[in-house]
Amino acid sequence: MAQDLVRNLLKSAALWLLPLGFLVVFFGAPVAQILRIGLFEGNGELPALLGNTLRTFVDPDVQSAIWFTIWQAAVSTLLTLSIAIPSAYVLYKKSFRGQQFYRAVITVPLVLPTIVVAIIFASFQKAHEMYSNIGISFFAENKVYWIIAAHVFINFAIAVRTIGAMWAGLDKAPEEAAELAGAGRLRIFFLVSAPMLRPAIVSAAALVYLFCFTSFGVILILGGGQVNSIETQISIAALQYLDIPKASILAIVQTVITLIAFAVGQRYAAGSTGLDQLADVETGATLDNRDRPALIVTLLFIWGVLVVPILLLLARAFDAPDGLGMQNFVNLASQGERDLLNITVWQAGLNSIRNLVVALLICLPLGMLVSYLTSRRRPARWLDAAFMLPMGVSSVVLGLGYLVTFGHEPLAIRSSWVVLPIVQALIALPLIVRVLQPALQSIEREQLEAAATSGASPWRIWWQLELPLISPALKTAAVFAILVSVGEFGAASLLVAADQATISTVLAQLISRPGGANYGMAMAMSAILVLLTLLLVGLAQFKLNAGLRKALRNNRD
Amino acid sequence: MAIRRIPKFAYISVATFASVSLAVGLTGCAQSETTPAADTDLKTVTLIAHDSFAMSKELVAAFEAETTYKLEIIKSGDAGAMTNKLVLTKDQPLGDVVFGIDNTYAPIAKQNSIIDGQLTAIDFGDVCLNYDKQWFAKNELPAPQSLADLTKPAYQDLTVLTNPASSSPGMAFLAAAVDVFGEAGYGQYLQALKNNGVKIAAGWEDAYFTDFSGSSGKGPRPIVLSYSTSPAFEIREDGQSQTASVLSGCFRQTEFAGVLSGTDNPAGAQALIDFMLAEQFQTALPDAMYVYPIDKSIALPEAWAEWAPVAENPVGGKLDIAANREKWLKTWSEIF
Repeated sequence: MAQDLVRNLLKSAALWLLPLGFLVVFFGAPVAQILRIGLFEGNGELPALLGNTLRTFVDPDVQSAIWFTIWQAAVSTLLTLSIAIPSAYVLYKKSFRGQQFYRAVITVPLVLPTIVVAIIFASFQKAHEMYSNIGISFFAENKVYWIIAAHVFINFAIAVRTIGAMWAGLDKAPEEAAELAGAGRLRIFFLVSAPMLRPAIVSAAALVYLFCFTSFGVILILGGGQVNSIETQISIAALQYLDIPKASILAIVQTVITLIAFAVGQRYAAGSTGLDQLADVETGATLDNRDRPALIVTLLFIWGVLVVPILLLLARAFDAPDGLGMQNFVNLASQGERDLLNITVWQAGLNSIRNLVVALLICLPLGMLVSYLTSRRRPARWLDAAFMLPMGVSSVVLGLGYLVTFGHEPLAIRSSWVVLPIVQALIALPLIVRVLQPALQSIEREQLEAAATSGASPWRIWWQLELPLISPALKTAAVFAILVSVGEFGAASLLVAADQATISTVLAQLISRPGGANYGMAMAMSAILVLLTLLLVGLAQFKLNAGLRKALRNNRD
Repeated sequence: MAIRRIPKFAYISVATFASVSLAVGLTGCAQSETTPAADTDLKTVTLIAHDSFAMSKELVAAFEAETTYKLEIIKSGDAGAMTNKLVLTKDQPLGDVVFGIDNTYAPIAKQNSIIDGQLTAIDFGDVCLNYDKQWFAKNELPAPQSLADLTKPAYQDLTVLTNPASSSPGMAFLAAAVDVFGEAGYGQYLQALKNNGVKIAAGWEDAYFTDFSGSSGKGPRPIVLSYSTSPAFEIREDGQSQTASVLSGCFRQTEFAGVLSGTDNPAGAQALIDFMLAEQFQTALPDAMYVYPIDKSIALPEAWAEWAPVAENPVGGKLDIAANREKWLKTWSEIF
């Protein structure tokens, strides 16, 4: 018995080695380098550190940036959740005509590079200037309003998918019983569904909060430089003033707040729920009258906040300098007006796809491993938190860390293309763990124990029982990885080399150069991304449904 | 309990993970930057440049043919980010030679001794106000003539500028304002700008493409902070440019190249700088990077001669920008 225990401990320690090693080498080392330079180099003595800390915190700009970052993320998260919960219900629990289309549509904003989202909302904002004429200037002028709107736009799908994936797999019996007992929809939600969904809701909230908390491109562009967050302050300090001490101290503040948010999330996500076998999932009940409020909220939001801005983007893609037409798309095979780019936009697309594939191959297995280990035995708290860190740490600091750390042996990879997929995998890893862990935890213990007593090895249980059960969550996790890989901009802009440009760095370059042709190309490329996403997500859903129907038929036979 | 078939992707992903990590490890080692090229190989010159750098394939080929070096270009953000990255990595330089450190950042490059020898001026550009000629004709309003005009009631709510904290033309405008109105007066000028409804965009791209009426974005504001060369890119079907520059109160940005300290190929680095000063490269500058060649004997493109004249009396040349930037920005952020 004791021997078994020791062997088990050793085994899990060995399994931990791979993800921990990855984290230490590609995250710990570069961040530590920057912190060392920022906190201890230069005058090096403790007084300098104290002086820098004081100097940073008495700065009113820093104070307001910290406060703004905290509350805008909270408001964005609350808004996102309050719309996402009824939407998850309508889109994943019920069925109605056009549902597939809407599920696909909400995913589009996720994979749009944030720089494009920011530009879309900047022009959407302009369209609201007409209200100024009737005395309502709030919408056109309030920058914070637009930042929060863009955050909800980007994060809506995260919340809907995380909550929806769990909701679809929940045991329906308690909800049905409550309905038979005559409880109203809202009552059922708050008394029955919400407690069961708590892990997913808290997970989603934590994710959205962290996304908004570290948001960079959106705040930079929509804030017009007058609204600053911790991340934009870090970027300005590090890249414009070479004030590494200030950047380091702010990065620590950002990380600490991330950890607090994470700890709070952990506390309230605790408590397990049953996740019935997904083979039992059938298409949801059709909508009835009492679902109308939820449906209205969902459709209003999807059309008003998601579809209209996207249509605006599509329209702009066809608006070439020499009139309406396909010219912008034709130009994508070029290197931009006057050979601005080193490679054509298509080649950048291929680079992005290669990076995406490699990033997925790194982060999905690692993410599964970490979730598996943390769901099996509650690990030390610090271990859990360690894997959340890459999300909270500024991508600017991370990028600079790579430049300083990986310039020499044994890992001289800073100008190689592999550095980008590694960073992307690193940033995606916490997301994947956040999605997979609750799904794994909600698998009933008895099922696992029954399988174990019947002699199945842990591997066999994992492959044949757990993995199929979490496969919807795995799909969501893959979507997150794609979103990070395609959209990641902060670190990419610091690390990308000449012929290794990605879609998002190319878009940023095109948008920031004179000449309408370049701007049009950026719009055309964004439009293609939108349509491609729609197509892929649509296809995936079609296949999933076909599979489900087939499974149901087989069950009946 | 129904046990489903093992999803195929699970096998595949684990198997590939092992091979990918192996491959990544190997390429990582193979691509190490410090590996010296074998004697028979061409020696590589690595150029660190800002994002706006552009060099046509023909020019790269010409350089490689002329010098037998192979040219590799690494773009590293805007001028500020690039300079600061070079300072951070000066112990293991990112490349052999740098292009695009401007007069704002030159003092920082010198203080941190990231340049071996001197910085060499390659080109310059003028940051000027641009206005939409069509808009002013249609509204029968005279176009602005100076920085001071922007505070006049006639131009209320017509101007969009960029934030100096996040954009280099914005910083150039702030420096120009300091030079024109003096240390004592520029704060008052900025306040007057704000009172007159000036809009501040985060970057040049938002201002020019989203807010400005004279470019493809067809925004609402007819006055924008841009470059003296921008009108050459707004020529319409009638052969006229839709926009023009206000040539007073322009700030001149000069861009430099230099050999990076600690490079193992100083001769190659110098060869590239010499190539940048030669006629072929200088002639290509206007079309490639929207800047004027430093060599005044080079003829400008036709459209430039007509629509993109150089500012005659640029301002701000004598200011110590590196030393005062933080102070000016404080004043700016207190007002806006």
